[in-house]
Amino acid sequence: MAAAVAGLGLRRAAVLASGPGPLRGRLLPWAAGPRRHAAHFTFQPDAEPSAHGQTQKMNLFQSITSALDNTLSRDPTAVIFGEDVAFGGVFRCTVGLRDKYGKDRVFNTPLCEQGIVGFGIGVAVAGATAIAEIQFADYIFPAFDQIVNEAAKYRYRSGDLFNCGSLTIRAPWGCVGHGALYHSQSPEAFFAHCPGIKVVIPRSPLQAKGLLLSCIEDKNPCIFFEPKILYRAAVEQVPVEPYYIPLSQAEILQEGSDVTLVAWGTQVHVIREVATMAQEKLGVSCEVIDLKTILPWDTEAVCKSVVKTGRLLISHEAPLTGGFASEISSTVQNQSTISQKSGKQPSINFQPSICMCNSVYQ
Amino acid sequence: MRKMLLAALSRVLQGPAAAAARPVSRVVVASRNYADFASEATFDIKKCDLHRLEEGPPGTAVLTREEGLRYYKTMQTIRRMELKSDQLYKQKIIRGFCHLYDGQEACCVGLEAAIKPTDHLITAYRAHGYAYTRGTSVREILAELTGRKGGCAKGKGGSMHLYAQNFYGGNGIVGAQVPLGAGIALACKYFGKDEICLTLYGDGAANQGQIFETYNMAALWKLPCIFICENNRYGMGTSVERAAASTDYYKRGDYIPGIRVDGMDILCVREATKFAAEHCRSGKGPILMELQTYRYHGHSMSDPGISYRTREEIQEVRSKSDPITLLKDRILNNSLSSVEELKEIDVEVRKEIEEAAQFATTDPEPPLEELCNHIYKNEPPFEVRGPSQWIKYKSVG
Repeated sequence: MAAAVAGLGLRRAAVLASGPGPLRGRLLPWAAGPRRHAAHFTFQPDAEPSAHGQTQKMNLFQSITSALDNTLSRDPTAVIFGEDVAFGGVFRCTVGLRDKYGKDRVFNTPLCEQGIVGFGIGVAVAGATAIAEIQFADYIFPAFDQIVNEAAKYRYRSGDLFNCGSLTIRAPWGCVGHGALYHSQSPEAFFAHCPGIKVVIPRSPLQAKGLLLSCIEDKNPCIFFEPKILYRAAVEQVPVEPYYIPLSQAEILQEGSDVTLVAWGTQVHVIREVATMAQEKLGVSCEVIDLKTILPWDTEAVCKSVVKTGRLLISHEAPLTGGFASEISSTVQNQSTISQKSGKQPSINFQPSICMCNSVYQ
Repeated sequence: MRKMLLAALSRVLQGPAAAAARPVSRVVVASRNYADFASEATFDIKKCDLHRLEEGPPGTAVLTREEGLRYYKTMQTIRRMELKSDQLYKQKIIRGFCHLYDGQEACCVGLEAAIKPTDHLITAYRAHGYAYTRGTSVREILAELTGRKGGCAKGKGGSMHLYAQNFYGGNGIVGAQVPLGAGIALACKYFGKDEICLTLYGDGAANQGQIFETYNMAALWKLPCIFICENNRYGMGTSVERAAASTDYYKRGDYIPGIRVDGMDILCVREATKFAAEHCRSGKGPILMELQTYRYHGHSMSDPGISYRTREEIQEVRSKSDPITLLKDRILNNSLSSVEELKEIDVEVRKEIEEAAQFATTDPEPPLEELCNHIYKNEPPFEVRGPSQWIKYKSVG
């Protein structure tokens, strides 16, 4: 297990592995000197769905455009705004929408994240559907006060008189290989600490469209993080018509009996590879879960799985300390039924693939 | 200089017969010497638009021969360095993000000419020019862009995080450096060393809330801070008309006096900065300068720069207002130097850039042991959890 996971997760690092295990004292592969650093995973597409009508080959940004297109055509109050969205956006997510729906529905804002979100809250409170884009999740922090203090608490503090439930904030998220400090962050853990908002992270175009449409429909303010490395790399057959994937429901991608692997976003593809390798090389049967919604997260699905397997491994890109894995593991530990029912001692491993310094990817 | 003397010497040694055999024009060219150059010239410069000021910077500027050659060499070095970075980026030797400064050289060189090395400067991510004028060598800058340990931030910062003595970067988040600049100005005032802080930001950042918070604090406490808005007409892909309710960025400080300066003319920038520095040093509080300039490249290397502006526009600015050409014409038309001397400088500059690029491509990357250093300042080194529970890094403060 250690070999498979460590070997996969750290193709590019030279590490003298410390601690117990077969790798102790051995130098893992390291390629020194300047070279092109390839992506650390292979995107694994899902099968073409048959339940939602005609499908089209789309990558992640095209599936986002499709979801936004569906929304703008069905909901006359829907507006999309953010920095540079008018010409199509820096990641091409809003291409063609301004021409199709007009410049009063798809418009640029000046460079002011706090203003964008605050403005979005106002639009939503007044009854329109607001879809705000923050250019990179790394820039969401000026808007943190608006999200945490205004958007999340509006319904509660007004006794359900007012709400900004029709607000959805979209932001590109996660490592991309050359983003360094300010184009690679995964800030979901900061927002997980805030009741009143929902945080959703898709793993693929098919998931993205369904989850984004659900976020927009949802009567609570949602933050939708889009893994930027998958914008072009992930291609699937996606239905053209709208369809909805429920929020707060984790998905078991692969059934297993020995260990539960949990991840979200890009990491799902890494752990799927790991699960395959573990089965082939170590004979270990892994249950792979895509968490999808970070807040509120599907505690039942994860706990039920750990009851079955007795072991849990969580993998995420964000820093380890205070990362969302710590929330999952402590909740699972708290479930006293684990050791009772399976008879196995629960062991929880943290497995973040990228530690605090994203410069590993530079 | 030496080559001219050598040419004169060879002419003399070859004797009068040889001189007579050669065409007259060649003789004239070969006999140009130091005494033919003027030591200085005076130029009329564009008057600056003023906001809340009775009088502004002067309408004329004196350029000495020595200054002219120095500015020319510095601007040419920055131009070639940026073009070399473009080349290295396309060869994938520089990775990540790279925001180039070519077209705006007059701003950084003009500003530096008007302030002292003990003054402070902070800017956003289009910082390569400032890193150079503030004292970092080209090889350190290029090595930082390529992420090698010879870089000025030890290879851990990259293009957006270049730092030097009294140069506080190099900041990635738009507008975040402006409150920092006011803080530096407060420290200058507090320490009483007659230093000022130049706080730069762009036309896009001018719409950030924290800029206005900073204006208020700086004006309230009369901080010696020159706010400088480098208006290159585009905030990444959005033109100023589409982003700002008021494009008179020099007036945005409201109660802070402002000047609008032609940022493509180095003498204009220099005189305006001298005026602004004097304003701050005399305790009158902050002042705002808008430098109207232009960038030839796109916002960054991933932006071709032509989806939101026309090639004709870029060409027009290049042919009519290129800062290096403007300076060169002034120098030549007023006999401050010769075409050959400037060509020599070009050759020197090219050589310097080539050597720096060579260093930047061959220097080794920082060692893995340094990955987690400088997170905290701690006496005892502590352990940092790595990507898996079996891997630990040591962090030394």
